[in-house]
Amino acid sequence: MSSDPEKLMSKADKMTKLTLTRWSADWRGATELYEQAANGFRASNKYEKAKVALEKASKGQEMQSSPWDAAKHMESAAALAQKLSIWNEVSDFYRKASELYVECGRAQPASDALGKAARALEDVKPDDAIQLYTDACEILEEDGRDQMAFDLYRACANVYIKLEKFTDAATFFLRLGVAADKCDATNSQCKAYLSAIIVYLYAHDLKQAEKCYNDCSQIDAFLKSDQNRSASRLLTAYNEGDTEEIKKVASSSTVSNLDHAIIKLARKLPTGDVTAVQMNTGEDLDEDDLT
Amino acid sequence: MGVNDLITRVDFICKKYDKYDIDKQREANVSGDDAFTRLYSAVESALETVLQKTEDLSSEANRAKAVAMNAEIRRTKARLLQGIPKLQRLSLQKVKGISKEELDDRNDLVLSLRDKIDAIPEASAPLSACAASTSYSNIRFDNNVSGHRIDSEYFRQTEESDQFKQEFEMRRIKQDQGLDFIAEGLDTLKNMAQDINEELDRQEPLMDEIDTKIDKAATDLKSTNVRLKDTVTKMRSSRNFCLDIILLCILLGIATFIYNSVK
Repeated sequence: MSSDPEKLMSKADKMTKLTLTRWSADWRGATELYEQAANGFRASNKYEKAKVALEKASKGQEMQSSPWDAAKHMESAAALAQKLSIWNEVSDFYRKASELYVECGRAQPASDALGKAARALEDVKPDDAIQLYTDACEILEEDGRDQMAFDLYRACANVYIKLEKFTDAATFFLRLGVAADKCDATNSQCKAYLSAIIVYLYAHDLKQAEKCYNDCSQIDAFLKSDQNRSASRLLTAYNEGDTEEIKKVASSSTVSNLDHAIIKLARKLPTGDVTAVQMNTGEDLDEDDLT
Repeated sequence: MGVNDLITRVDFICKKYDKYDIDKQREANVSGDDAFTRLYSAVESALETVLQKTEDLSSEANRAKAVAMNAEIRRTKARLLQGIPKLQRLSLQKVKGISKEELDDRNDLVLSLRDKIDAIPEASAPLSACAASTSYSNIRFDNNVSGHRIDSEYFRQTEESDQFKQEFEMRRIKQDQGLDFIAEGLDTLKNMAQDINEELDRQEPLMDEIDTKIDKAATDLKSTNVRLKDTVTKMRSSRNFCLDIILLCILLGIATFIYNSVK
């Protein structure tokens, strides 16, 4: 067997093509040659060719009904595509790999593959990244492994925050809360709810924040937690327009234990003078009601 | 209508118009014309009540009541002392209808009144307990202040107790700061501990899976080992060796025979 990857590739291709002399493709031999060729290309830094070789190797493995190996090759191909910054191929390859993993019945690697894809695409194509994160979370939830999904939810919410789509970010935090509830992970749950409230407040949405707070108070675990106290302090400070208090709560240790992105939002919290205006209108209404 | 009724009616009418009865007024109040005399008489009557109270005090058995009455006496005394300067001013005023001698007398009266007020004993009878408390040099919350003599001692007390209070406040502030610091550290610890808890919960099923998989791999390995051992023993058994050697000797013998026959 010559060690020249090009020759290996051409040989392998010949093995898979059906001609008069060859009535069935020899996938096993071909796959081996493809793998060798890919290694050769990688060693000589010809990533484009290596990627192609890996794709073909993966197809060969698939034909041999070993989805696990196929998926592994796909992942390597996707990693090379990432290096080459061919983004749509990245997402395609990772998706294929994830499907193959699901075929094997292994949910964790499947969602891992989608997670890697999403991380790669976060900066470049955030919408695709969000889609990938959501799919990854669904795969895990179907398999009943919610705890693994926490990190994915958090990463997804961070992407939304970067895109300044605050309602979506808050929704994801609430989904995190649901997942945490299923696993009795009360600490993560309470932190998720507090993060959601802070996100709403950052988006000037006091009504939503209060509604969210009321909803969350229905949950026992949240009611008994430190995060609950911080949230109530924050909301009362907002209602009274007390900037000092808001800043104090935002720099308290409870908030500092949340995600970095949330801490940044909290530090910037009293967003504008909207707070004072809201307080005034509230007071007028009260006086009218009393009379 | 009988005589009794008449008498009651007359009394009633008299009371009603008493203030117009000049003679009666002059009787009731010997010198009721000017402010000085009025004030003087008021102060005098207050002084008499205070003296009465002090007498009651000495016969008072209940300590608490004694203390309360003491406080009351001190308060009245202070009030009266405040009133004295006003009285003095009034006494110096020239009022028509009064001779110069009477004016001087008034001044003397005021001074004597003042002395009388000062002489009101407000310190309770010195008990042994009080004496013991005076021996403490630092904190004295005791209210036994009687007259000027105690005033200077009173100031010395406040200096020492002031210093003590200041030090106390400073130490308390430092303690509060230290406690705040500890509280922050504890918060971080709590958060980390809860996260570790969740992480361990997360890894528990994974560990179980690893356990089963490794058990399976171990059993596979064991059976493979056994089979390998069998194969190797079969390969290297002594019987096979002997057979090999015998056959080799036979071959050599045949070769020698052929060689000999050819030679």
